[in-house]
Amino acid sequence: MKKTLAVAASAATVLAALTGCSAGAGGSSGPGGSGSGPVKLTVWTGFTGGDRPGYDQIVKDFNASHKNIQVSMTVQPWDTITQKLPSAWLTGSGPDIAAPSSDPNVIAQYVKTNSVLPLTDTGSGSKINVDQIAPALIKEYTYNGKLYAVPANYATLSLYYNKKMFAAAGISAPPSTLAEFEADAKKLTKPGGKQYGLVLADNQTIQMWPILQWLGGGDIVSSNNCSALASPQSQASLKPWVDMVVKDKISPVGLTGAQADSLFSAGKAAMEMNGPWAAPGYKSAGIDLGIAPIPAGADGHSVTLGSTAPLAISAKTKYPQQAQEFLAYWTSKTEQKKFSLTTGFPTLRTDLASDPQLKANETIATFTAQVPDARLYLPKVPQATQVDANGYVPFIGQITRGQSLSAQAAAASKTINSLTGCSS
Amino acid sequence: MSAQTALRAREGAPLSRAREGAEPRRRRRRWQPAWLFMAPSLLILGVFVIYPILVSFWYSLHDWTIGAAVEPFVGLGNYIALFQDPQFYNALGNTVELTIVSVVLLIVLGLALAIGLLKDGPVTKIVRSTFFFPTVVSLTSIGLVWRFLLDPDIGLIGGISHALGLPALDWLQSTTLALPAVIFVDIWKNVGFVMIIFIGGLKAVPGERYEAGRLDGASEWQITRYITLPSIRPTLLFATLILTIQSLQLFDLVYVMTGGGPIFHTDTLVTELFREGFVNYRTGYASAISWVLFALIMLISALQLRIFRYDDVD
Amino acid sequence: MTTSTEAVGARRRPIARLLPGLRWLPIGVGAVIAVVPFLWMLGVSFRSENDLFAHPESLLPQAWTLHGYLGVWEQLPFLRLVLNTVVFAGVTTALTVLLDSLCAYALARIRFRGRTLCFYLVLATLMVPFQVTLIPVFIELFHLGWLNTYQGLIIPRATSAFGIFLLRQAFLSIPPDLDEAARIDGAGHFRIYRQVILPLSKPALATVALLNFMALWNDLLWPLIVTSTPEMRTLPAGLTLFGGTHVTDHAVLLAGATISLLPLAIAFFLAQRYFVAGVATTGLK
Repeated sequence: MKKTLAVAASAATVLAALTGCSAGAGGSSGPGGSGSGPVKLTVWTGFTGGDRPGYDQIVKDFNASHKNIQVSMTVQPWDTITQKLPSAWLTGSGPDIAAPSSDPNVIAQYVKTNSVLPLTDTGSGSKINVDQIAPALIKEYTYNGKLYAVPANYATLSLYYNKKMFAAAGISAPPSTLAEFEADAKKLTKPGGKQYGLVLADNQTIQMWPILQWLGGGDIVSSNNCSALASPQSQASLKPWVDMVVKDKISPVGLTGAQADSLFSAGKAAMEMNGPWAAPGYKSAGIDLGIAPIPAGADGHSVTLGSTAPLAISAKTKYPQQAQEFLAYWTSKTEQKKFSLTTGFPTLRTDLASDPQLKANETIATFTAQVPDARLYLPKVPQATQVDANGYVPFIGQITRGQSLSAQAAAASKTINSLTGCSS
Repeated sequence: MSAQTALRAREGAPLSRAREGAEPRRRRRRWQPAWLFMAPSLLILGVFVIYPILVSFWYSLHDWTIGAAVEPFVGLGNYIALFQDPQFYNALGNTVELTIVSVVLLIVLGLALAIGLLKDGPVTKIVRSTFFFPTVVSLTSIGLVWRFLLDPDIGLIGGISHALGLPALDWLQSTTLALPAVIFVDIWKNVGFVMIIFIGGLKAVPGERYEAGRLDGASEWQITRYITLPSIRPTLLFATLILTIQSLQLFDLVYVMTGGGPIFHTDTLVTELFREGFVNYRTGYASAISWVLFALIMLISALQLRIFRYDDVD
Repeated sequence: MTTSTEAVGARRRPIARLLPGLRWLPIGVGAVIAVVPFLWMLGVSFRSENDLFAHPESLLPQAWTLHGYLGVWEQLPFLRLVLNTVVFAGVTTALTVLLDSLCAYALARIRFRGRTLCFYLVLATLMVPFQVTLIPVFIELFHLGWLNTYQGLIIPRATSAFGIFLLRQAFLSIPPDLDEAARIDGAGHFRIYRQVILPLSKPALATVALLNFMALWNDLLWPLIVTSTPEMRTLPAGLTLFGGTHVTDHAVLLAGATISLLPLAIAFFLAQRYFVAGVATTGLK
């Protein structure tokens, strides 16, 4: 099958060259003069992690079932996409479809510059099944009543723990309440950096600190886009964790996501909050791995972080119809079920939530169980990327290095409020 | 002057013809061949460096975001905002500190190494190559290696500290140690290059000058101060100029090692420019940063050319 | 030479006579510091994560593993990347040496109005931070239709202000009577350039070639910006795939770094004489 396709493709290339209707070196989606060949769509994504085979499979299946549309996906680091995509889409030389960032809030920027196509081909069947996709995600990608992207994936964070370390410390089960969580983190820490109770990354990472804040009743930005960091609840929610990092050294300071992951996978950390993409690596590193839901917070309810990468279409694509067809296929029930089974990701479709096959898989079940408790990071906050980079990340950096919580919270609030335009 | 005689021999035959042609050549003097020689380079530099930098100046006068429907003219607004931005002063301070420390140390260490390894010998040559090797390697690879090497959990330095019973320092996460660590790696990477440049300069100094100094009974220090240094003034200028420009534009190394962190303590002007331009998409603002940086580089270079009296080096 | 040193040495105090030997101590320490990071990098590229975390104090692996290299090999069209890098760095370097030497010749050996201005203009381009021209250049390349092509990779890089500066310095150091003589013999500028100046400037030309080749080989951002398909990537750009946010396998990352520096390292060891001797001339007037 694959071979036939390859032969067909190369034959087509030779033909095109002979007849002199090649699309030109720079054209990613040249229409071709003859008009009889398949439509070629290019996709850029930054999925370089362990979940990559899942996405590759979707593209492969799509190409096999759509003779008239051929999709090629280029994977490059998110950094690179961030640098290139705005100018590429501005000039119309970019890909037809792209995941512009792993941060869903970035879509706002592209909407502002009219670079992304509003998705109109929605409905049931082979259209984009908006009604079957998690409502929070649809809301995140809707601006002024128009949908600009579909979720390329949806993940929640769970609590990864090292069973061997738990046994050695005499703890029989993963923590289920905030108090247990704190006590275990302390108990599992060995002095001198020999073992960390809970590794907490604060930069270049999937967000971990917001979960701790939410569990304690705190928040970062409130619904009126004003900083909530200086509120008494927020400070109270942070205080115990900051103390544990500063005094008890439950985690090194200033970790990136990759550093935190490698500490856990090397057996130097007992707990880490992370997404489903981390599981295969930890298992192959030989960790006696347990995955549990994030413990219940102060109010008795669990909270976790929801993470999604947007998949959007260039406003300048020559094939808006075909590109939307691809997005519909990507988010279709069959493909999403296959994707979850391959990668361990929870499903982004509500009609798969109670699928028996997905439920039977323990990893998927754990991550799926937390979907109702998941919150996005800074959803729809104006200038969210800067709120994160100039406000929240330096704030956590300061307080975990022993700076005064109240003073830093006030300073960070000022920065954040000036970015979001909060007037109060 | 063997080249000259060789040329004469080769050019011997058409000598007379050339003399005949001398007359019309002089008349055509208005046509300046220099421009033909320079055309390809100037065209490329013009199209891909000079024009873009002018375009970026135009950006810097606007609230420019790539692709935006409206790009309002803000005059000097971006520059005014910049000079009120504490992040800019932080990045400027780091860049200046990094540049001064690394350029001074590089010149001193490079010169010391060059003097120490001046005489050719089998050992000397191997040692020179050893020092020079890091120059060959990309800053990205070097940044990566040192980032891991300085990691308290997996790095060799932390590992040895642990083995000796000392605490392993978290260099790149410490607000006080991160910038010195970056400066150290920058020096580590470039010192061999500076050394080699100085060896070249020192070797070109005529031996008689030293002989004369020694006969006058000058001390080693006096010889260095009054004979060596003045003799290698062009080399000193060249090294200082190139190193300063490089340091003021330092990006790759910082980007890979610390990303400008922890909490902006290693943020340089170019990492800030990059963040504003390519993460926050504030192209106009980023362009303003780059023009301030450009002006700074021009100013410092002009100062250096003046200090080293570049004109009579010519 | 020997006699004079001895004569000077005889007048020195004993401690001063020890000094030349003593200098090997700091130099030796420095050389170790220069080389250990590379040995360590090579070691880590053959280590498992567990080994690395268990024995951070060790320079070499406790048990050797090839999984770092296999990881790189499996995921990259390796030969294609090397070919692209060779084409990009090789062709660009050749063009740069040609164009830079032509331009430097005019700036050093021809008197004309605006010469100083041209020189300072070239010097000024050296001071432009590359990042700031990124967006305008990208848009230009688009209008030229050069994105994701070899000419787009090569031509904007086919001249370097640094090379012009350096060659101008070298050409200035050639005595002017040489081309006077050639001119009397009736040689035009191009012939003087080709038959007098170039042969006398081989070390400087070699230096420009080497430094350019190294810089281009190691360049990361430029190929990433200009190319968009994996088949057009260069080696360093291709290797960035392994630095994702969620995956850190130190062996794979450092195996990638080792692979990208290996060709240059081999070239360096084969031709270190030229590298070092060539660069040594750059500071010359």
